[in-house]
Amino acid sequence: MRTDLGLALLLLLSAAVESNSMSPPGKPVLLGCRSPEKETFTCWWEPGSDGGLPTTHRFLYERERLEGTHECPDYLTAGKNSCFFDKVHTSIWVDYYLTVVASNALGNATSDPFKIDVMEIVMPDAPGNISLRVMKREDNPYLHVRWESPQNTDTKSGWVTIKYELRFKQENSNEWKEYTSGTQTQFNLYSIEPEVTYVVQVRCRLDHSSWSEWSNSSSVKTFNYPQSEKPFWILLSSLSTVPFLTLCVLVMKRKYVKQCLLPPVPGPKIRGIDVHLLKGRPEDVNNALINNQTFPSVSAWKDESEEYLIVSDDVRLPDSYSSQKRKKSLTIAAGLLLDFETHCKELSLSQMDREKAEERKHEINNFANSNASLSGVGLFKKETLPEAADQTWSSCDPAESSVLSICGYVDIHRHKNTQEVDVNEVDYTRVKEVNGDKILILHKDRVHGCEDVQTREENIPEDYSRVEEVVGDYQLLLQRQSSSWEKSDRYTVFTNKKPRNPHETGACVTKVGPDLIVSEYVDTFPTPPLM
Amino acid sequence: MKKVWFTILTLVYLEHSMRVGSAPICAYGQAGCLLPSLAELFDRVIQHSSRMHGISSDLHSEFEQYFLPSKNLIGKRKCHTYGILTPDDKENAQRIGREQLTEVILRLLGAWGDPMSQFYQSMSEDQDQDFNHYSSNKALEVGDMVHELRDGVSKMAERMKLLGVLDNTVGFISPESFVPLSGISFYKRGELRSMDHHDLLSCFRRDSNKVKNYLQILKCTTLPGLDC
Repeated sequence: MRTDLGLALLLLLSAAVESNSMSPPGKPVLLGCRSPEKETFTCWWEPGSDGGLPTTHRFLYERERLEGTHECPDYLTAGKNSCFFDKVHTSIWVDYYLTVVASNALGNATSDPFKIDVMEIVMPDAPGNISLRVMKREDNPYLHVRWESPQNTDTKSGWVTIKYELRFKQENSNEWKEYTSGTQTQFNLYSIEPEVTYVVQVRCRLDHSSWSEWSNSSSVKTFNYPQSEKPFWILLSSLSTVPFLTLCVLVMKRKYVKQCLLPPVPGPKIRGIDVHLLKGRPEDVNNALINNQTFPSVSAWKDESEEYLIVSDDVRLPDSYSSQKRKKSLTIAAGLLLDFETHCKELSLSQMDREKAEERKHEINNFANSNASLSGVGLFKKETLPEAADQTWSSCDPAESSVLSICGYVDIHRHKNTQEVDVNEVDYTRVKEVNGDKILILHKDRVHGCEDVQTREENIPEDYSRVEEVVGDYQLLLQRQSSSWEKSDRYTVFTNKKPRNPHETGACVTKVGPDLIVSEYVDTFPTPPLM
Repeated sequence: MKKVWFTILTLVYLEHSMRVGSAPICAYGQAGCLLPSLAELFDRVIQHSSRMHGISSDLHSEFEQYFLPSKNLIGKRKCHTYGILTPDDKENAQRIGREQLTEVILRLLGAWGDPMSQFYQSMSEDQDQDFNHYSSNKALEVGDMVHELRDGVSKMAERMKLLGVLDNTVGFISPESFVPLSGISFYKRGELRSMDHHDLLSCFRRDSNKVKNYLQILKCTTLPGLDC
């Protein structure tokens, strides 16, 4: 009883279930459409559930510029659940509105509308008949690929323009390398490896359409050929020679390079001194320092009346001089080394500026007087008068008795007049030795200006005379340097000696004492014309 | 013997005269430059139209990508060039003949000159939209391209007339006679300005494709050669 009840229930349930499966069809879905050559197209749809009843599908479309709703002209050519539009029914550049209607005994189901323009759904077939071969060439074999355009495309009329793309890979790897072929239906691949199997595929597109599927693969195996490694070695050698060459150039031109990279820094240069001589022997050093030295010009001296120091013995001095020229006396302290060279200017007077001169005189006087304690030789300084042409030396002041050694130079300035002074003729007289009470041994150098100390040694004027012998109180026997010891050349020198020529000078040694030591040359100097 | 020499000389002369010199190419035949051949003119024009179509496709796809997510849109669109009757498949295009084909091309190009020039203006005015720099560049460019292509096709048509390939029935066509509302105002749909631009771009894409295809057919029917 119970089993019968259960069985009946089961039957009822199954009947109910079965009766529930019958329903209107599910909504179909349009999958898409495609035109392989821009002349026909096909659309596919996906049917929904069929509701248990036999369901039919109808493909309906509406078209721009075409009245009414139409049904698919061809359900069969393209397979199941498809609709094929042939050339007659295909129009480009117009919109199609597609729907699929599924219907069965219980009802209908309409898909969503699907709008297409044939221009947009173009996708060509893959190219076919691909042949891949290895072409033999001397050292560089290559792969040659050839194919055909898809059969349904019409390129002859210019309706479509096909462009191709292909890709290669070696059999073992998964990396494809793509190349574009344009509109050519063949392609060459160079630089291939030996003993490798290559696989190639081709695809195409029409104008700006979608790309087709990749074609079937075609493969070939390359044979073993001797691969030239020339390019590698050529590249390597060329790359290595470049730095080598630059190194050579640098080494050969290292001086130039050094000059470029490390320019010499100029060192200090003293004008007139050759630095190289300083590095040599002491004599050379002296030469270097002295030879090229040019003292500043003494043109300034022209304008100034120079002071001169007259060392004189009052007795010997011509009266005219003593009365006219002596204005002040100047005492110079003993033991004072006066570097008259440097004090030329200080002691010189500006003839225009006598007041200044007097001041200086005062100074010097004061200075001298302050050192009055020191014994020394009094030197009379006489101011030069414009008309003075010559100067005289007067001997020392006999006041003092001690030995004075003055080794400096005393400037003598010789003036013809204020404007025309031959400043080159600056007579230096060096007080060589003071001996005894009243003796100054003067050595007069005729130095040309302050600049030319050197010439003293070279151009010893002929006025230098060597004291050969002291004869008596007032006589010196002088010997000319150039000549030999001849009595005929001796001449006695007096203070009043008349010069042989205007430039010849006479020696003036006054007050020769018994202790006279003459060891050097005694310069002659011109006697004043006033004498 | 003399005849042989004569023929040889004639051939040599012809061969020499047909050699293409290196003089500059000019469109108006000024002194000192070579006129381009019809084939060259065709190539240039087709290249130009291909480029124009490419830009129009890019503009359209970018527009759809940014502003309209759903691909299939409601509403039937209408283009302002609907008045121009165009062959809508290959057979029809081949059937209507060269003169009419040339005329259609010129009409289409004439109808699109102004709208595309105004397109950029309209785009930049609309603050809602955010066309990126790349697209705006193309929008600027495409306006000029339409005008240039139109001039090129006119010149080519003149040349074809000279060569006798084209009948003289093809005249200068004024765009206003076939287009009801010239310009971009045709596409305005009330407030939704983005919609206007979408319709404009899809219409332009379609018409540029037409122009390109028609030119290619024209070339291959006029000069059948290697490329066809």
